Amino acid sequence: MKRIIIADDSTTARMFIKRCLQIIGLGDVEMIEAEHGKEALAAAKAQEVDLLLTDLNMPVMDGETLIKWVKASPKLVDLPIIVITSAGNPAKEAQLLKLGARRVLNKPVSPPMMMDALADFLDE
Amino acid sequence: MTKHNPLYQAMLTAVSQTLENMVFIEVTEHFDRSYEIPTEDLTWNSLLVNDPVQGEVRLAMAKTLMKKLTGNIFGIDDEEITPAQMDDILNELLNTIVGLFMTNLLAHDQEYKMGLPELGEGELPEIDENTIVWKLMTDEEDALQIFATGASLVALKND
Repeated sequence: MKRIIIADDSTTARMFIKRCLQIIGLGDVEMIEAEHGKEALAAAKAQEVDLLLTDLNMPVMDGETLIKWVKASPKLVDLPIIVITSAGNPAKEAQLLKLGARRVLNKPVSPPMMMDALADFLDE
Repeated sequence: MTKHNPLYQAMLTAVSQTLENMVFIEVTEHFDRSYEIPTEDLTWNSLLVNDPVQGEVRLAMAKTLMKKLTGNIFGIDDEEITPAQMDDILNELLNTIVGLFMTNLLAHDQEYKMGLPELGEGELPEIDENTIVWKLMTDEEDALQIFATGASLVALKND
């Protein structure tokens, strides 16, 4: 079974993302929720994970720091990362892609946006 | 301030897009510009915009509307709704609204930095000359209000 980590400090945001994933046919994927980057990083190190969806503005460890930690870890360097944020713009997006994120989505996220961003993942 | 300037429209668009996407609710301007949400039924939060301008955005609505939205989003009955769920939704709504608002206002490649939403307590802060208020209502005539405050923030495209 595939595993996806959803990192966002908002229960509501995590619920929306889970709902979108279910709508696009990923209801049977194991979804691991994390309230901040540190928790997400620990979850990613503790088990095999196929995808990381993360917010940027989070307490304890923000999304940008999380991406840097993931990309600095030999074990996690290939983990695909999609950023879902309310603080996105083209300059920020370019910066995040350079850091190693695969896509950057702006909130409010919708099932078609998620479908488009996860097309590769769904094909595998 | 005119209702047709870019700042006013940027917020209106941000609120409409957020509520339509997240809670499937349409908003329009309130028919009564003098309407105030009764303090005893008021819930509100705020979020700082730190860069490239400095200001604060507040979202206020009636607790009864907040409860409706929470039930709608979580798909649960009134008696199952917890204060923590309502607070979390209020914060996520404001977070998303401010992100869209800044994206609508700033140039295509201009970065912005915002803080984390914080819940307010008691009455809303006083309105000063650097505060703009959007008085809105849902299609069921539940009121909500947005406040943008801070000289440099409200000066953005406020022609």
